[in-house]
Amino acid sequence: MKSLFSWLENRTGIGAITKEALFERVPGGARWRYVWGSTLTFAIMIQFITGIFLWMAYSPSASTAWESVYNIQYGSSYGWILRGIHHWTAQIMVVLLILHLVQVVIDSAYRAPREFNFWFGVILLFITLATSLTGYLLPWDQKGFWATKVATNLAGIVPFIGDDLQKIIIGGSDYGHHTLTRFFALHAGILPASLIALIALHIYLFRRHGITEAKPATRAGALYYWYLMALGSLGLATAAYLFRDSNPPWVLWIPSLLAVGVIVRIIFLHLCGKDDNSARRPKRDGMFWPDQIFRDAIVCFAVLGAVLFFVFWKGTELTSPADPSQPYNAARPDWYFMSLFLMLKFEPFQGEFGLVLGAIIVPGILSSMLFMMPLIGLKKVGHWVNVVLLYVLIGGFVVLTVMAFKKDASDPAFIADVNKAHEQAGRVKELIEFNDGIPPEGALSLLYSDPLTQGPRLFATNCASCHAYGYDDDGNALDGTNKKLSDKQSAPDLKGVGSREWITKVLTIEHYESDEFFGNTKFKDGKMLEFLEDAELEEGDVAGLAAALSSEAKLKVQEDVDNKDAELIADGFVWMGEDELACVDCHKIKGEGGKKGPDLTSYMSRQWLIDFIGNSSHERFYGDDNDRMPNFLDSVTSEGDIKPGKLDQKSVELIVDWLRGEYADKKAKE
Amino acid sequence: MNEPLLEDPIEPEDPQRRQFLEKTASIVLGGVMVSVPVGAGVATLLEPLASDKGSKLKVRLASIDELPSDGTPKLYQVVAERKDAWTKYPNKPIGSVFLRRIDEGKVVAFSSSCPHAGCSVDVKGSAFFCPCHASSFDFDGSTQGKSVSPRALDELEVDSELLASGEVWVTFVKFKAGVADKIEV
Repeated sequence: MKSLFSWLENRTGIGAITKEALFERVPGGARWRYVWGSTLTFAIMIQFITGIFLWMAYSPSASTAWESVYNIQYGSSYGWILRGIHHWTAQIMVVLLILHLVQVVIDSAYRAPREFNFWFGVILLFITLATSLTGYLLPWDQKGFWATKVATNLAGIVPFIGDDLQKIIIGGSDYGHHTLTRFFALHAGILPASLIALIALHIYLFRRHGITEAKPATRAGALYYWYLMALGSLGLATAAYLFRDSNPPWVLWIPSLLAVGVIVRIIFLHLCGKDDNSARRPKRDGMFWPDQIFRDAIVCFAVLGAVLFFVFWKGTELTSPADPSQPYNAARPDWYFMSLFLMLKFEPFQGEFGLVLGAIIVPGILSSMLFMMPLIGLKKVGHWVNVVLLYVLIGGFVVLTVMAFKKDASDPAFIADVNKAHEQAGRVKELIEFNDGIPPEGALSLLYSDPLTQGPRLFATNCASCHAYGYDDDGNALDGTNKKLSDKQSAPDLKGVGSREWITKVLTIEHYESDEFFGNTKFKDGKMLEFLEDAELEEGDVAGLAAALSSEAKLKVQEDVDNKDAELIADGFVWMGEDELACVDCHKIKGEGGKKGPDLTSYMSRQWLIDFIGNSSHERFYGDDNDRMPNFLDSVTSEGDIKPGKLDQKSVELIVDWLRGEYADKKAKE
Repeated sequence: MNEPLLEDPIEPEDPQRRQFLEKTASIVLGGVMVSVPVGAGVATLLEPLASDKGSKLKVRLASIDELPSDGTPKLYQVVAERKDAWTKYPNKPIGSVFLRRIDEGKVVAFSSSCPHAGCSVDVKGSAFFCPCHASSFDFDGSTQGKSVSPRALDELEVDSELLASGEVWVTFVKFKAGVADKIEV
């Protein structure tokens, strides 16, 4: 073994390099405050490892990106953990970057001769943010798509070169395959390679200049930091307690235990110390290995713990597939860009120049100030300027971020959009499970052929200018997407169309002549109402007729009831033909009868509804008596001309299937 | 830095011992920390071992009248509904099969995949021939002369009941290449 080692050592010098790396002197002894650089190296290592494994499962194209991420998240057993670690480490890295920056500045580690190392660090900060930004798009979900659209549009307003820059970044003037291939190459190739190169330089320079020794720790100083930690952990525990109902119990336990641990430490510090101003540790030099590495390892372990905490608690979101035609109003950038996002809403940043000012000039000035720090800090007073500047920057960042989240949390429209987005993400998952896979055209096609998703949208756009779809608690007519009708309802409510309840209402005068059905149509004065007034139907009569007519619709939800009531239904049909009612005088029923009113054969069945919506002026339906209902499919008029319809066959089918409740349903499949 | 060493007021114990504990703890923690992301990755990478089992598939390839009566093999594409990771293809080409009518009413089926290394076998003259390593097989599937293939062409099961009604249905299976035995994969 020993000879093997010396053989290797003679040829590679690996032992000497390891010694060189490990046995670095730490002047003044190892300190907890020096750990942040190591935690960042650790975080980046996690990102490289998880990133390469994710790479093995990811497919960058507009019709496979979302689908492959879906497969990672739901199609494999542990993919969600892998993706979760990658996602949450990226979030925590931003916090670690800030801590590292703060430590370097308050300990004066950026001052001469370490300027270059500081500049490399600032560049590393920006590369990390760029890696996060490009990674945000890769799942090609609604959230990433719309947030990236904003980010790249901001690139487009850069003076002079903006348009070209934007086109280069997104690979054309539209977002698609090339946006993904480019972002992926940046995210997994160019940016990580630059990170490695700069980290190597950063660590090389760090070793060349050595650790900047921080002021020796005093017991008062230590207490100060522990009290800050107590405040933070108690805050976390309080927050966890306030929201205990919406979280699993361990979400409360972990911060509580943390707080208890911190308090125990403070008590211990109080019991042990005597002189508050004496140095707590001797200024004895330490060694990187194991003194400092031990501290690094413990904090890195805590970082990993925090990452896993979020992976298991919050999970990793995948919203529904990117759809350029469906604006996603809840699109937000990652949390650390929220301050910038909010800033753009402020008054000085309005208008064309305001946007350039807010998105380019102000962030540009702030970054330049960061870069200038080593030059400003040459003098002692400059150093204090830098420290104050840094705290102001971070304070502004925190305040703006909190404001941005508070603003969203108190905005009902935003919450509604988030809920809608979650609903849709759940629906697409349900459709994929129902279909047992994703069609080759991509997951979006499932949503586009789903009546439950498209029906309400099509209804709201094409039908809800006259028809209602149910009512809210205050009795306002709704448009299918739970919004109030913009115009007064002037045609029947179509919620539950063809069901017994619905037909019962049609056959009841007070409903028939109200706004809910025909009150605002010319049928209000028609023969049907006359008939209802003359017939004086009893409740039981109506129920029998409704059961019979409704059975013609062959609704999925009524299948069991229809089978059970076969007798009642048969009686109903017999009655419709008898002289007492003589529905058949005006209507065709089961193929026989008059032509004055709409044909009720297969009434409200899928095909009947498609034909009816297609052209209700057809002689099979209202003929010349039609009120304002347009023909939605191409139709031939009585003069023989072709009258183009407002919709295509597919859309009408989606509306009909939605109205009739016929769509992929997990429960129905089981 | 040049000041004389002060005594540590809190931890007066043996620095050697402390260093040993620190080293052990660092190595243990480090190992755990690396194994978490690596573990999640490897578990995902190895997923195909657990879940991806090949499946037998019975497909209709032809009606018997379409096959040459002189026994010349004819190549048919096998197209079926297949799931590739997340995508479900309604009609995905998954392989090809040679069909040969030998007697009235009898049909044999061979997988076109060479049992040697999985290249695609052709018909050349009156033999099956693999262009990759020059394996050749008689029309009855057996290896010819100095063929490098360790076994004969893989015969596939033809449903005899359906064949009696004139339809050729074949059970499409894949076999491990490069070994003497016919092992399903």
